[in-house]
Amino acid sequence: MYKILAKRELAPHINLFEFSADEVSAKTKPGQFVILRIDEDGERIPLTIADADPGKGTIAVACHGVGKTTTQLGRLKEGDFVLDLLGPLGKPARIEKFGTVLCVGGGVMVAPLHFQAKAFREAGNNVIGIVGATTRDHLIFLEEMENTCNHLLVATDDGTKGHKGMDFLKDLIKETKIDRVVAEGPVVMMKAVSDLTRQHGIPTMVNLIPIMVDGMGMCGACRVTVDGKTLFACVDGLEFDGHQVDFDELLARLKVYTPQEKLAYVFSEQGERN
Amino acid sequence: MEANKEEPRIGVFICRCGFNIGGVVDVSAVAEYAKTLPDVVFAEEGLYTCSSAGLDSIKKQIEKFKLNRVIVASCTPATHESLFQKTCEEAGLNKYLFEMANIREHCSWVHMHLPAEATEKAKDLVRMAVAKASYLEPQKEMELDICPSALVIGGGISGITAAMSLAGQGFEVHLVDKEAEFGGMLNHLYRLQPTEREASEILREAIIAVKANSKIHLHVSTLVHEVSGFIGDFDVTLQTKNSNQSERIKVGTIIVATGAEEFKPTGMYGYNESPNVVTQLELEQLLRKGELKKPKVVMVQCVGAREKTGRTYCGRICCHVALSNALQLKKLDPNIDVTILFRDIQTPGEDERLYKETMANCVNFIRYDPKRPPKVAFKADGSSTVTVYDVYLGAEIELESDLVVLSTPLVQHEDGRKLSSVLKVPLGADGFFFEAHPKLRPVEFASEGMYVCGTAHGPKNIFESITQAYATASKASIPMAAKKIKTGAVKASVNQEICVNCDACVVSCVFGAIEASAFGLPRILEANCKGCGVCASECPTGAMQLRHYKDDQIIAVIKALFRSEKRTETNESFKPVILCFACQWCSYAAADLAGVSRIQYPPNVRVLRVPCSGRVDVLHVLKAFQSGADGVIITGCLIGDCHYIDGNVKAKERVDVMKKSLRSQGINPKRLEIGFVSSSEGQKFAAMITDFVKEMEKLGPNSSTPKREGEKLVQDTGKA
Repeated sequence: MYKILAKRELAPHINLFEFSADEVSAKTKPGQFVILRIDEDGERIPLTIADADPGKGTIAVACHGVGKTTTQLGRLKEGDFVLDLLGPLGKPARIEKFGTVLCVGGGVMVAPLHFQAKAFREAGNNVIGIVGATTRDHLIFLEEMENTCNHLLVATDDGTKGHKGMDFLKDLIKETKIDRVVAEGPVVMMKAVSDLTRQHGIPTMVNLIPIMVDGMGMCGACRVTVDGKTLFACVDGLEFDGHQVDFDELLARLKVYTPQEKLAYVFSEQGERN
Repeated sequence: MEANKEEPRIGVFICRCGFNIGGVVDVSAVAEYAKTLPDVVFAEEGLYTCSSAGLDSIKKQIEKFKLNRVIVASCTPATHESLFQKTCEEAGLNKYLFEMANIREHCSWVHMHLPAEATEKAKDLVRMAVAKASYLEPQKEMELDICPSALVIGGGISGITAAMSLAGQGFEVHLVDKEAEFGGMLNHLYRLQPTEREASEILREAIIAVKANSKIHLHVSTLVHEVSGFIGDFDVTLQTKNSNQSERIKVGTIIVATGAEEFKPTGMYGYNESPNVVTQLELEQLLRKGELKKPKVVMVQCVGAREKTGRTYCGRICCHVALSNALQLKKLDPNIDVTILFRDIQTPGEDERLYKETMANCVNFIRYDPKRPPKVAFKADGSSTVTVYDVYLGAEIELESDLVVLSTPLVQHEDGRKLSSVLKVPLGADGFFFEAHPKLRPVEFASEGMYVCGTAHGPKNIFESITQAYATASKASIPMAAKKIKTGAVKASVNQEICVNCDACVVSCVFGAIEASAFGLPRILEANCKGCGVCASECPTGAMQLRHYKDDQIIAVIKALFRSEKRTETNESFKPVILCFACQWCSYAAADLAGVSRIQYPPNVRVLRVPCSGRVDVLHVLKAFQSGADGVIITGCLIGDCHYIDGNVKAKERVDVMKKSLRSQGINPKRLEIGFVSSSEGQKFAAMITDFVKEMEKLGPNSSTPKREGEKLVQDTGKA
């Protein structure tokens, strides 16, 4: 059992949880994830770790209430427990001194990206951060990213805050010498970033969380095609070369269980929304 | 529940339709009942509501009672909705504030001998319409300007024909080809039957004409890199292959004429192993160059075509090509021995003459069995022995051969596949571009303003390709000549507040009407949206909605249906109440036809019209069962006939998933069904309903509240 020590609402339906998890926190590196299960009948869901404090024995994860389990998790309060917290899983992100690193984050995934941004900064990089979301109210971790990055830019799809869309990135890449890009967010965002940087030959890492089951390389549910090769996100990732990922396949695979996911949600909520 | 800005003031007009409705349904009782329903401020019956007197009354009452919602309970909306909508508009009421209850085709005509039940059903249908009316919202229809220029992709004979035709009508045309020269496949052909003219000769004339036409802008060695926008306003980025330079153009319509390529049968019959095994296209090049001196030629038909999986289709032109080339060989030198190994020779129309001529010229034909395909063994001198089991002879024959020619089908090329994702138009299972409807809309894509012709759409001969090219030019000219088009208001809309940017809607839309913005916010291209509502049913949070068929509107109707108190629960007199979702196309029309044909079926079913069976959400089905439905049946067009390509397939998938999980809710999965009918199958619709009602009668009442009635749950969900 893992206790929720703190819960903070970052945006509507997006929460940051701090779990007491001694052993997990001792080994966690940025870019890794845990598989969480709320209770015995619960679904196992992968969540990228957003912070770890081995001193306190805690890890943090951010979760957006989208389906049955994430909504259920969002209802838990400080002091509540979850049954399992398995991790840290996956390979750590490659953190080195590259020079100037551009960290592009979207939606809930800005939280785990911040964990990487912090590490890049500590490794002596000049870190430019981009925090993006669909709309102003869904922007998270602005303050944290502001404090961590040398320079921070904000963008929303509807233009309610910061830049509208991602067109500004084209100019940024032209005007600034960037040595590495790390993108973490919606698949469409990571795809768009990779398409853009490919033309300029800037190494670009994306963090992929496909549908997962065991998280340890056994089941193959999380397979992704990278440079024509089949890899497993859980053991070969989550970090991959964005210029080589077959994003269209990933998008299609992510939607395979849409009817089941919706059904589970509607049944668990008994048809009551929001 | 969101309150509308103004309090609903509903007027209900119930039509007797002479004896058609009035002879069965107690119309006065229904009118009296309507007056008791919430928000109804006026109700009246009329002899013929669609008569000028009836229409005048609607207008008068709208003014007198300040009605802001109008319901007509009469016949099918398929024939009369637009008339009543127009009447409402004349009285200053937005046409989307009108709703219809079909108490003729779906009630009096199909329950002619059950007046009491028919009257109850009519009341239910009116109550459902009233519930929907309370939630109706006024809508605005869009008008789009059409840019009078077209993009024709592919400069083969199809593309050239389409471009010339459009230019001849006065439209600007951009003709794009990936190659450095126009002409496509015709560049590689030899002589064309039945004229014997050289393909290059025909092509030369066509290319000269296209180059001389000032309306046609030519782009060679160019690929279509990016396309956004919608009919009338496509924004196209062209990219030159060698220099990587790009150019942006605006067009109103797009014609795909990208052709196909010949399948290269690597690894089959020694192809690639020996220079003496070639395809028909390669043979034609040898013939054209005059490089052929092979006294013994064996042709093998259906190579890589008509397979069990993958290329299951018939190559369609290969028989013609083989016969034509065999004849050319014979004309070159009558001493050349030509044998054609075939599965079936298919020579419709004019080709039959070619077949006869080939036989008259001493070409041999041997029928082979696909289960025992011919074998090719090579000798040291490059010649080979072809062993074939002759089906008619019932024995193996060995043929000496200097040249083996393989007839392979046309296949989609890599650039075609890429283009399909650039244009967001579908490819069929065979890999070719997929039209909106195989019979009724053969040269259009489901997405408006985009058309397909020639072999991009599947194997075709030149005559067929040119005919299709004219068809696409004609189709594309319609909106361009009209300069404007009006689109309906039933479109998707997204609530940004609750959208979780999962992009399920983006993936679900087959019309490319939803694009994901940089951080995942769906952007709806209203001109592309066809109003099927599949996206709304795929959306996990209800952020995506279809106007006029929103979740709250549909659920209001469902709740209203089961609000009636008159449920009898004793087993002998148990009358199940069944909700039928019917798509507005085939299934609703089939239900109408059952009515028109006076096919009688049990009065237990209430039809709820939705744009597509794909709009039916698991939420709606669950609500129906929770509200007291004994059974839910979803009806859609036949598989392959969906007016939104595959909405019915998605509905079926959803039903399959639900059936597995209904037990957990204490509901017997047999209570949910899905059926597919064509609009001409009134009989089948009635039979489907009759069977379903019988099944529900067997199952007994739905007791789907597991916590309350544990015992009944076992009985209801037991493996009956």
